[in-house]
Amino acid sequence: MIRTLLALSGLALLAYGAVLAWEFATSRAVNAAQGAAWFLGGPLIHDGIVAPAVGLTGLVLTRIVPTPWRTPVAVGAVLSGILTLIAIPLLWRPYGTALNPGLHDRNYGAGIVIALAAVWLAVVAAGVAQQLRTARR
Amino acid sequence: MTNDNTIGRTPNESPTGAPGGPPDLTLPASTDRKGRLGRVVHRLRPAEDSRLGRLIDRLQPPLERDFHSPAHDKKVTARLGIWLGVAFLLCFVTGLLSHAIQKPPSWFVWPAEPVNLYRLTQGVHVLSGIAAIPLLLAKLWSVYPRLFARPLVRSLPHALERLSILVLSGAAFFELTTGLFNATQNYPWGFYFLAAHYAVAWLAAGSILLHVAVKLPVIRRGLTRLGPEPDAGAMSRRAFLRTTYLATGVAVVATAGTTIPLLRNVSPLSWRSDRGPQGLPVNRTARAAGVTWDPTWRLEVIGVDRTVRLSLTDLEALPQRTADLPIACVEGWSQNATWTGIPVADLMQLAGADPNNAVHVTSLERKGAYRTSVLPATHTHGTLLALRLNGARLAPDHGFPCRIIAPSRPGVLQTKWVQRLEVR
Repeated sequence: MIRTLLALSGLALLAYGAVLAWEFATSRAVNAAQGAAWFLGGPLIHDGIVAPAVGLTGLVLTRIVPTPWRTPVAVGAVLSGILTLIAIPLLWRPYGTALNPGLHDRNYGAGIVIALAAVWLAVVAAGVAQQLRTARR
Repeated sequence: MTNDNTIGRTPNESPTGAPGGPPDLTLPASTDRKGRLGRVVHRLRPAEDSRLGRLIDRLQPPLERDFHSPAHDKKVTARLGIWLGVAFLLCFVTGLLSHAIQKPPSWFVWPAEPVNLYRLTQGVHVLSGIAAIPLLLAKLWSVYPRLFARPLVRSLPHALERLSILVLSGAAFFELTTGLFNATQNYPWGFYFLAAHYAVAWLAAGSILLHVAVKLPVIRRGLTRLGPEPDAGAMSRRAFLRTTYLATGVAVVATAGTTIPLLRNVSPLSWRSDRGPQGLPVNRTARAAGVTWDPTWRLEVIGVDRTVRLSLTDLEALPQRTADLPIACVEGWSQNATWTGIPVADLMQLAGADPNNAVHVTSLERKGAYRTSVLPATHTHGTLLALRLNGARLAPDHGFPCRIIAPSRPGVLQTKWVQRLEVR
């Protein structure tokens, strides 16, 4: 019963979204082409490039990083990846609006470097702590 | 070494030095026994038991069973799915609210109190979107092996389900990437963001509901106790979940300074700073808007049967009210400030109009999507036509000579450089 309700409401929202998307895509040529590219680009880039790269990185990390360091280094890599991903629209701005006073006018290069330094400092601290704990055992 | 491997090779060429059989002369010279490999390819291909051969073997597309990490456990997927669902639900509801405030349907009423309400809902919209980025990536990693399930399609319902998941994934990525880029005012596309983001939001919401409907039994089973961790070299399920939650928290803290003043100097990726004139960010400068002010300017207040024209001196001579009101932008940034000006309701009465009517506001800007705005009747009493900001005259970039500052409304509707107020 609840599944049917969920499925029907899901289909209703999808149908409304499809109508809106159709209106959007047919109103201008650029909408259809670029809209489709941005829509399909996510799954394609993720499934074809990002996920395999993350998987291989994980595989390499488990091979070369000694056990006590494995989790801290993996966590550090995940945090670095996420922070870098979110920083992209602030660092890469050939299509950005002109700088407005008070908006996106900070030094994001320095910001991300400091953030990553903090992450890896924590990784080193956690790794050393883990190693000492393993050694004591 | 299998005999297959030595085809096309004379024994003394064999890299391992093992004696091979004579070339099979019954097959064309360019193919192996199964008629597949070219002679050149064959010569270049390393032996199957060599290191390189094993590596090449491993580089084949994986199968679902090749993924061993505990992160792919359904219990992990279900837990991440719940959090991702919460993030998307918050995003969807607050997004619909913001859309309704900007393009109000006739039945929609948005209260003027509390004054920080829009600041809160839009802050939630942007931060839940940020939180959804690590959650989505972790959730997809958790189910990534399913992508390699074979056969590709088992039945028509299965085909439709896979298609709905493509829509879900496409819509989710579309909303998060376009949303993040829009929040930082970066537009690497040629379409109108608002229409696209709004349409795809419905696709995302619909495909999520459908997905939950299909997966409900799996989700129910997945939400049972985690139990003891299986012994594996990779990250345990708990460690994977904790890492995801930590990454989500870090992503939120890294950007939340954009709306939470306490985190302003903590968030390295906050897209607002304190560098704006009078301590307030500017979304559109007077120069960009092409606005110049000259002393012959008069504010026009058009009532039902009379029009009042007021110079800046006239406006400054009227009774003023001071209020602390936030500017809260659709891009998620917000900032509180102290504004002084004339309540819009007072100006309407000055022009002989009933203050319980909507007011059409027109800017000195000649073009731009936000040149005009409509202040709903619910807001006329709480809204100021502001002349001063934090104790000083408005900076040109903040809308000198006067601007609208309404409680709990999106920043783009806080019309600057006001030329005309009109009651229709």
